[in-house]
Amino acid sequence: MNDRLIEILTSSFFEILIQGLKVTIPLTIISFAIALVIALLVAIVQVANIKVAKQVARFYVWIIRGTPLIVQLFIVFFGLPSLGIVIDAFPSAIIVFSINTGAYASETIRAAIEAVPNSQFEAGYCVGMNYVQIMYRIILPQAMRTAFPPLSNSLIGLVKDTSLAASITVVDMFLVAQRVAAQTYETFALYMEVALVYLIFCTVLTKLQTVMEKRLRMD
Amino acid sequence: MLEIKGLKKKFDDLEVLKGIDLSVKKGDVISILGSSGSGKTTLLRCLNFLTMADEGEMIFDDVHYDLARMSKKEIFDIRKKTAFVFQNYALFINKTALENVTEGLIVARKMDKKEAITLAKEALDRVGLSDRYDYYPRQLSGGQQQRVAIARAMVYRPEIIYFDEPTSSLDPELIGEVLSVMRDLAQSGMTMIVVTHEMNFAKNVSSKVIFMEGGKIVEEGTAKEIFEEAKEERTRRFLASYYDRI
Repeated sequence: MNDRLIEILTSSFFEILIQGLKVTIPLTIISFAIALVIALLVAIVQVANIKVAKQVARFYVWIIRGTPLIVQLFIVFFGLPSLGIVIDAFPSAIIVFSINTGAYASETIRAAIEAVPNSQFEAGYCVGMNYVQIMYRIILPQAMRTAFPPLSNSLIGLVKDTSLAASITVVDMFLVAQRVAAQTYETFALYMEVALVYLIFCTVLTKLQTVMEKRLRMD
Repeated sequence: MLEIKGLKKKFDDLEVLKGIDLSVKKGDVISILGSSGSGKTTLLRCLNFLTMADEGEMIFDDVHYDLARMSKKEIFDIRKKTAFVFQNYALFINKTALENVTEGLIVARKMDKKEAITLAKEALDRVGLSDRYDYYPRQLSGGQQQRVAIARAMVYRPEIIYFDEPTSSLDPELIGEVLSVMRDLAQSGMTMIVVTHEMNFAKNVSSKVIFMEGGKIVEEGTAKEIFEEAKEERTRRFLASYYDRI
């Protein structure tokens, strides 16, 4: 390895890392937080069998899971302006990632709720609690423990999916890497480098998941 | 205190309960015997609306209810006076033993938290679990879990407690501890309806024994009448099958 390459990699490493902390991480965290709220609502209206809302929920999941994420990004960022709706790149990315992850996460949460034995409901009714109280205090806490590993999966997936935001001009760490690569022609080194930074982020999350899972255990 | 008239229940085309009449007085300990599929568990579940009866009448504390048309409020009101102990314990697995007992008091009955904890500790002490307040269900043996469930049931001071095969999921050596708690409860004057296969409990503790088969009550009477002087051939055969076991 020559000095020039080392120089390029070290200076770009911090540029990429900083952009990761400034864009990739906030994009991931904000989108995932909104996605969880959407997912919880979408899962609950289905489990609780709320008539029209349930149909809407199924429709939403069907559309979002049936179309590619990058196409959804293009529709919101490049498509909507032709209808007169102009949204900046970063908020566009937040909207699409929240809605997209929300659809998948809602299925995870729905399955986790349905996995809680019905006797937990019956026991709740028998001590005089109502549906909402049982759902909130008994069922959801148990379901969220079951849902935690697959939701961690979604979160880790989202970290990497945010790289697609580069295609709608969000200056995330992947776009920074692309720019440096274009200026220096060190494509292999730069893309390996940015891959390494994603790997670092995801490794931290994986460790965090292990720690959290231990804390969530009930025995 | 509680009276049931003509309770019927069908699952699709299968008639599980074909008109049950039942009368419960305060302080009664009623054991319901019968083979699997006789409808005894369904009957108990209908009494607490975990399964909805198709028709029949319930008179609870002089109030008449039409079992085919129960409002949510009526169900809620009746459940306030009753408690249920399940075969599989059905403790809230995300709550400690103590929280299992306080949960309904605090959430459903809006009791002050301190007061609820005091009552819950008393109840757990009574079932011999004063050293297990902060254990989660998964850290407890089956017998301990079922005793928490009984503490959870009696802490509300219900007028009646339903027991659905409370010892059927337990290892043989754990059955005794649960039965002895139930015996204490019975002797304290608690009204209980117990679906059970524990013949000795039925014989020695109950004030009344009911034998069910094919969705009907075949015979009922005192423990002595059923165990020693059963009139019906089917009752005698059922009991004999228990004594024949080695």
